[in-house]
Amino acid sequence: MRENILAPSNTRRQFIAIALTLACAVFACVVRDVRAAEAHSQQSATAPAPADPAAQTAANKRATKLVTDETGRRMAIPLNVQRVVSLAPNLTETIYALGLDGKLAGDTTYCDIPPAAKEKPHVGSTQDPSLEAIVALHPDLVLATTSINRAQTADALLKIGVPVYTSDPHTMAGVLGATAMMADLLGASEQGATLVAQLQKRLDALHAALQDRPMAHVLFVVWEDPLISIGQNTFIADALRWAGAESIIVASQNWPHVSMEEVVRLQPDYIVLTADHLAAETHEHVNNLHDRPTWRELRAVELGHVVMASDEFTRPSPGLVDAIEALAHELHPEAFGTSAAALAPNDAHRTVGAGPAPAGPVSTTANAPAFPQFASVQLRMEAPTCAR
Amino acid sequence: MRPLTPRRILAICGMLAAILFVVVVISLRVGAYPISMREIVITLYNGAVGNGDSSEFSQVIFGLRLPRIALGILVGAALSTSGAGFQALLRNPLADPYVLGVSSGAALGAMLSLIIAPHTVGAIQVAAFIGAAATIAAVYFLGRRGGQLDSATLLLAGIVAASFLSAIIIFLLTLVNGPGLRSMTFWLMGDLTAPPPTQNVVGWFGFLYFVFVVAAGAMYTTSSDLNLILTGEQEAGHLGVNVTRVKLVVYVAASVLTGLAVSVSGTIGYVGLLVPHVMRMLFGTDYRLLIPTSAIGGAIVIVLADTLGRTIVAPTELPVGAMTALAGAPFFIYLMRRRIR
Amino acid sequence: MSGGAENGTSVAHQPVPFAPPKHVRLKVEQASYAYSATDRSAPKFTLGPVSFEAQQRELVAILGPNASGKSTLLKLLAGLIKPLSGRVEVDGTEVSELELRTRAQQIALVSQESELLFPLRVWEYVLQGRYPYGKRLRFESDEDCLMAGNALAQVGADALRDRWMEQLSGGEKQRVILARALAQQPSLLLLDEPTQHLDIGGKVELLRRLRRLADENRYTVVVVTHELNLAAEFSDRIALLHKGKCLRIGEPADVYQQDVLEEVFEAPLEVEMRSSGRPRVILRGSH
Repeated sequence: MRENILAPSNTRRQFIAIALTLACAVFACVVRDVRAAEAHSQQSATAPAPADPAAQTAANKRATKLVTDETGRRMAIPLNVQRVVSLAPNLTETIYALGLDGKLAGDTTYCDIPPAAKEKPHVGSTQDPSLEAIVALHPDLVLATTSINRAQTADALLKIGVPVYTSDPHTMAGVLGATAMMADLLGASEQGATLVAQLQKRLDALHAALQDRPMAHVLFVVWEDPLISIGQNTFIADALRWAGAESIIVASQNWPHVSMEEVVRLQPDYIVLTADHLAAETHEHVNNLHDRPTWRELRAVELGHVVMASDEFTRPSPGLVDAIEALAHELHPEAFGTSAAALAPNDAHRTVGAGPAPAGPVSTTANAPAFPQFASVQLRMEAPTCAR
Repeated sequence: MRPLTPRRILAICGMLAAILFVVVVISLRVGAYPISMREIVITLYNGAVGNGDSSEFSQVIFGLRLPRIALGILVGAALSTSGAGFQALLRNPLADPYVLGVSSGAALGAMLSLIIAPHTVGAIQVAAFIGAAATIAAVYFLGRRGGQLDSATLLLAGIVAASFLSAIIIFLLTLVNGPGLRSMTFWLMGDLTAPPPTQNVVGWFGFLYFVFVVAAGAMYTTSSDLNLILTGEQEAGHLGVNVTRVKLVVYVAASVLTGLAVSVSGTIGYVGLLVPHVMRMLFGTDYRLLIPTSAIGGAIVIVLADTLGRTIVAPTELPVGAMTALAGAPFFIYLMRRRIR
Repeated sequence: MSGGAENGTSVAHQPVPFAPPKHVRLKVEQASYAYSATDRSAPKFTLGPVSFEAQQRELVAILGPNASGKSTLLKLLAGLIKPLSGRVEVDGTEVSELELRTRAQQIALVSQESELLFPLRVWEYVLQGRYPYGKRLRFESDEDCLMAGNALAQVGADALRDRWMEQLSGGEKQRVILARALAQQPSLLLLDEPTQHLDIGGKVELLRRLRRLADENRYTVVVVTHELNLAAEFSDRIALLHKGKCLRIGEPADVYQQDVLEEVFEAPLEVEMRSSGRPRVILRGSH
């Protein structure tokens, strides 16, 4: 008769089996750990980190200042920040834009703009970084943002004495302010001021060009299925306004779920999609909309008023201004006296100032220059958009 | 005829505790931050004796690794013990700690706290426990029949409660903002990295372990009764077991254990279901032995899973719940296959 | 053979003779019961006043058609329900007032077997019968093992000791369940239709064993059963129930009267007296 599966049999053999399994697991663990430690020590050999933690501790006892970050947390940040860890791609991008990548000790596996960021030591994902890996990099300061990081990560780091500055941008002004603050914290206030001034100038120029134009009503699509757009309090909504567009969705949540019916009722002038900068099929994707049942009923799709914004649009970083300009040119070409195709490709990033050891040539990357991308999309432009 | 003696229980638990100790030592040793064994011992000694040590070693060990391990032990033990209790109470080998909806109630509490007070440290734990307690009470009253807990009715009540609460959670997920959503998703997957909400870390863990010991101890006092109840409730009654009282004690104890675990670490699956079965296969179904072995076994599993999760693909961290599923299922299949000849 | 300490045979509805018996184990005095569902509906079922006594070494069979109150009577005897009127006493104390564990030390009830959830060895199962002795959370002592071993020996199941419960045949399982009940060291052994799932060989074997337990080990055994002939063969006295009333209590030969049986069981029956003095019931017209 078949022995019942839940019945215990020879105990000694089982102990051996389990012990072996455990031993294997433990061994795999230890091997992994040793390898990781070796790899890590190679990486940190390149960074100017004190190998002796005692010296590091002593160094940390130097002058600090009390700072309150944008989420209301107070912490002591060293006056002289030499090593910083970034927990979000937009923060990494900002650091490079400020020319401070020499101080960047580590970033996340998702930080890939500019490509040099991929070479930095990684601490894990943005959602769940390895706290130990962060501490192992001996950072003076860790940067986080509410738009992509979890509050628990910042709490946990603060609890063990690592200062974490979390930014929480809701407007373009906030983005610029956070950039300036970041520059201040990293001891590069001049570069910060210069960069912010440049960006502000461009924004002002845009504003001037667009101030007589009616706002284009757009549907900003964060995700198609389910259909998710943006709320009024997001920096994206503000960025749209700077580009001369107004989101047709009015919601207090950041990422409201929107019904297609509502979109049909509101009939936006333009549909703005966000590209995944790694995806090459943007062209087909836009054309696909013509084939999708409810989408093709929209006037905007019929008229071909579908615009692909670069995914920089979803990042509060200096590149956002590039994206705003690009979108503004798309939506209101008459305001600039040029057509889409004639514009020269821009660098997606502008390195500013002569800070210490700026990073190597920052080129535009797989994130192809914004304008040719638009140019490749077939658009039939209508006469100046109707005011509604 | 070799009846179970306290000595045999201590011997087996001692062996399991030794395994747990080894696993803890390994877990202290490995991690993204390289520390040698020597440094670990020195830091632990300093910490235990009270020499103030604010070096980074101390930060990592006492601030990151030890709390994680301590939490893992607690959660693993609580979930396994609770699972064993529910399997007896509901007379169902497929019962796990979450089947009566306690985890959904805790999740709803956590969700509400993320919406209402997202930045208050410790709000999640407290709200989750309140949610769990409310669900325990509600399911108890729904699950009664003729004044006492009836297994079938209780199971139905629990499933209904779990579904209803999950629906509310899904509804809330569409309303909550980005940061809250992310935290919630993580919480649902099981997360041992949440920092203690109080300043006094030792006090916090002392409190958690105290609750665990009280609840598990209460369940243990009914272990002889449970052995009898498993051969039939009526028969147990004829043998002198106060079935009504035992069911109530086990229900409350197991639910409190689940609520405790879920409040501090989110929902970690499979442990509460699989560990008691593995322990049964190894050591038999006598609850006087099963309860302590499940507790220690659960602790071993969680600490091991967490350690593997944070070292296998470092620096990416795999959630504990995923690790327990990945490792637990094949191991269970292996044990099952060995039986069927 | 029959431990008859009472005078004469009882007649339907007559109270128990009042001459003080020496070792009355079980004494049922005008006990009655009604299941009243709610305030609004009428009482669902009644068991009219029943009285009888049983001594040690006696085997009493309770017979009757379905819904005649047999199970209710058994529950009253086991102390699971409290009689609406009258008393049920074992060794002088009212059973329904006994504390659970004390009651389990005196009365063992063998009911329909239920499904075992997890595998269990026979000796573990039988050892559970020692639960009423000692503290709630207890570990079995040597004495417990001795008693359990005795119980297994009494039912002739020594050889089954190390087997798994679910590997046993129907008859073997019945014996083991009985052993667990005996491990309680009860004065009174109650069985609720124990022969239901057994073949004829098993039925006979079980009744024989019960008979031997009563004779040699001095148990008082009360068996609820449908088996007319086996009851007649092995029991000292039979209580015949019909629609909640105890029609007759007495020796089998006195209780098995054709007209009474036919009325109670609503079947064409005939009673044959055998040379042993015990009656046999057969279908009428089957000569």
